[in-house]
Amino acid sequence: MESIRMIIDEHKLLGNQIFKLAKSDLIKTYRASALGWAWALVKPAVRIFVFWFAFSVGMRAGKPVEGYPYILWLMAGFLPWFYMQDMLNGGAGCIRKNKHLVTKMKFPVSVIPTFVSFSHLYIHWVLLAINILIFVLAGHLPDIYYLQIPFYMLLMFLFFTIWALFAGLLSAISKDFQNLVKSITTAIFWMSGVMYNVDKIHNRAARILLKFNPITVISSGYRKVFIYKEWFWEDPVELGCFFVTFTVFVLLALWAYRRLRKEVPDVL
Amino acid sequence: MATEKDVVIRFDHVTKQYKLYKNDKARFRGLFFKNIPYKVNKASNDLCFTIRKGDAVSFIGRNGAGKSTILKMITGVTYPTSGTVEVNGKISALLELSAGFDSNFTGRENIHLKCELMGFTKEEIEQMEPGIIEFADIGDYIDQPLRSYSSGMKARLGFAICVSVKPDILIIDEALSVGDRRFRKKCTQRVREIMASEDVTLLFVTHSLDAAMDFCKRGIVLEKGTILFDGDIDEAIAFYDARN
Repeated sequence: MESIRMIIDEHKLLGNQIFKLAKSDLIKTYRASALGWAWALVKPAVRIFVFWFAFSVGMRAGKPVEGYPYILWLMAGFLPWFYMQDMLNGGAGCIRKNKHLVTKMKFPVSVIPTFVSFSHLYIHWVLLAINILIFVLAGHLPDIYYLQIPFYMLLMFLFFTIWALFAGLLSAISKDFQNLVKSITTAIFWMSGVMYNVDKIHNRAARILLKFNPITVISSGYRKVFIYKEWFWEDPVELGCFFVTFTVFVLLALWAYRRLRKEVPDVL
Repeated sequence: MATEKDVVIRFDHVTKQYKLYKNDKARFRGLFFKNIPYKVNKASNDLCFTIRKGDAVSFIGRNGAGKSTILKMITGVTYPTSGTVEVNGKISALLELSAGFDSNFTGRENIHLKCELMGFTKEEIEQMEPGIIEFADIGDYIDQPLRSYSSGMKARLGFAICVSVKPDILIIDEALSVGDRRFRKKCTQRVREIMASEDVTLLFVTHSLDAAMDFCKRGIVLEKGTILFDGDIDEAIAFYDARN
């Protein structure tokens, strides 16, 4: 409980500073390259094209879903994945990357994951806008289900910010952990519902298990908005699984914060 | 006799231990298991002292005596293992040449970044900016990314910011020993100005005993994390010289 209060105090102390730091984190990532901001869009575009090509053209799978072309179905689920992928790796590396704030001056450690998360969220907003635009151009106008977007975005933001606090602290102590995260990112991706509809899996155990992966829930949440046109309360099991994982990571992050906050500046 | 109110820094039985594991892997395992062996390095050992407003204190000692650890605990970068550190007032610290700088940003952006982190508003920073740039005197490089700076230039910028923010406590760690002679002279003069005109406390770490004698009235001699001598600067230096 005390840790929670300290984390909140640290955030209050920095206040608006967090957004400025997020902005400078963003600028730093993209300014150094010649194409600059375009990279933020090129990467996702290439990714979606490759998967669409492999599944639709190559394997001749990828039938239209609920009357939507397969590529739109892909995009709806991939949209949050780009943020989540950046946060899986970038979150784990966030404290190490911002070492200069920790080892050379007084700076509240718990704020680092927050501003890193915000900086990725800004990109997510741009991608979201583009995604909506493409849906509109394809003739699918926004409807009442779009109201769920903030809900799923908030879940995603909270979960991955908390993940970044936990993973960032642990990675700061040991590079092993950061490498571990890097090497299982691909596994986490394929064991989630980004590429397929988890509800269609026949094996009941596997179906339930995959729902404990928050990426499944967020990804399928965005598809509920854009494709399936369902409300989040229609699948309470899914949300329940999400909150179980969420709680586990809150506890892990608090443990890491309590245990490592004072140790990190000495080790980095 | 100064009153309690004048106490700027108080160390109360402060001990700082660093755990030394065999490697990072052992450190990681040490998080989960109690039986991973490690050595303990006491960088500070049961330190007790108070520093009052307007004091100018020099920490003297060999490499590894625990000088920087003390400064780091005062600035709040690192935490004591046991005991309490009490600090009252705004600190401006020059712990390392590029403290708080981000090498991907330009000098000008770094001025803003660092001052923002110190809690200044945009208007205040814009007010200070010309003075900082003038003092740093690095010409067109101010709009170049910091990674293209020489270490001297970084130090100049860092120093310029630290002396421009009107601190209550100014901490200088070896910083005066970088830069060319002209810049060093400028720095020395500026520190003197600050000390004379304002109610500023100066903490000074250097291996140049002349500089220490120049600025400070009080000297604390450290060895292996323990205070051996605390008193008048001349006596402190004599004491230190006698041991080395």
